[in-house]
Amino acid sequence: MLGALRILLMVFVVLTVIYVCLSLYSRAARRDKLEAEWDEGGIETPRETFVQDGLREYDTSLRRKLILGVYVVPITLICLIIYLTNFA
Amino acid sequence: MRYLRWSFFVVFWTFVVAFLHYTLPQTDIVRIVNTYEERQELGDWTRIFWSVPDTQSEGLINRDVQFIQTVRANGRPMVYRNEDTGWGWPPYYKFDTANLYTEANDGISTRENPKWHAIRHYGWRNEFLSIFPNAVAIWEVEGPDVRIIPWVNILILAVLAALYWAIRVRWLRFRRNRIDPTLEEITDSWEAAGDAVDDRRNRIRRWLDTWRAN
Repeated sequence: MLGALRILLMVFVVLTVIYVCLSLYSRAARRDKLEAEWDEGGIETPRETFVQDGLREYDTSLRRKLILGVYVVPITLICLIIYLTNFA
Repeated sequence: MRYLRWSFFVVFWTFVVAFLHYTLPQTDIVRIVNTYEERQELGDWTRIFWSVPDTQSEGLINRDVQFIQTVRANGRPMVYRNEDTGWGWPPYYKFDTANLYTEANDGISTRENPKWHAIRHYGWRNEFLSIFPNAVAIWEVEGPDVRIIPWVNILILAVLAALYWAIRVRWLRFRRNRIDPTLEEITDSWEAAGDAVDDRRNRIRRWLDTWRAN
């Protein structure tokens, strides 16, 4: 069972690195998009407020939670392989 | 330089293809003849072709391994080892070695009254290195000429190709936009420096020539 713990730890570390990178990238991309949207003109609120509001909306959005798939997909895959190899 | 580049690419891709060929699952149609267990010495470098079923076996230099003897549909013999992969590489997470051994024994048949089985495995058989492919699953099939489409391999290879392509395109774009201009800048300034040196050298030569003329 020590092997299981070891692989779990390794997978967790790797996936955490991917998760952090991906979420930082995704938030930065959203910020760029909001700034571009404001730069096109026609928005009354100040630029900084508009971007902050947009990012706050993003923080509660489904898109951000989808990044958790970085953990869910590989772990589901491992469980599926274990089932198919040993019990199917 | 070009030969070096090409040999590097050939070696690299040979390793990639060999690695995939070793690791990805393949299916053979076989008739199971017998099973046996034999103590194996694992002390030398061919250790990498045997599994590490649990943490204890990391330190062992020999242990008993189960084998499945078969005859393939084309009449040639093939022997598989039957080992847990455990939590290690390759990621088959096989823990049911004892069950598979039972199934294999249950499937034994004679040449006169053959029962055909599909056997999924990874790894290579090599007589010189005494290495064996590891059986992962066994199931009965109708006859020696059933066709099994390797969906898993198709999927994995397609995903790998897509990943490779995605990274390559981005790298090429990065090189075109960032590295090439910088290199050009460096080359330009080198050339400028070289011109300046030439200029100075010419001046010195001209000055020396004034002496020679007299």
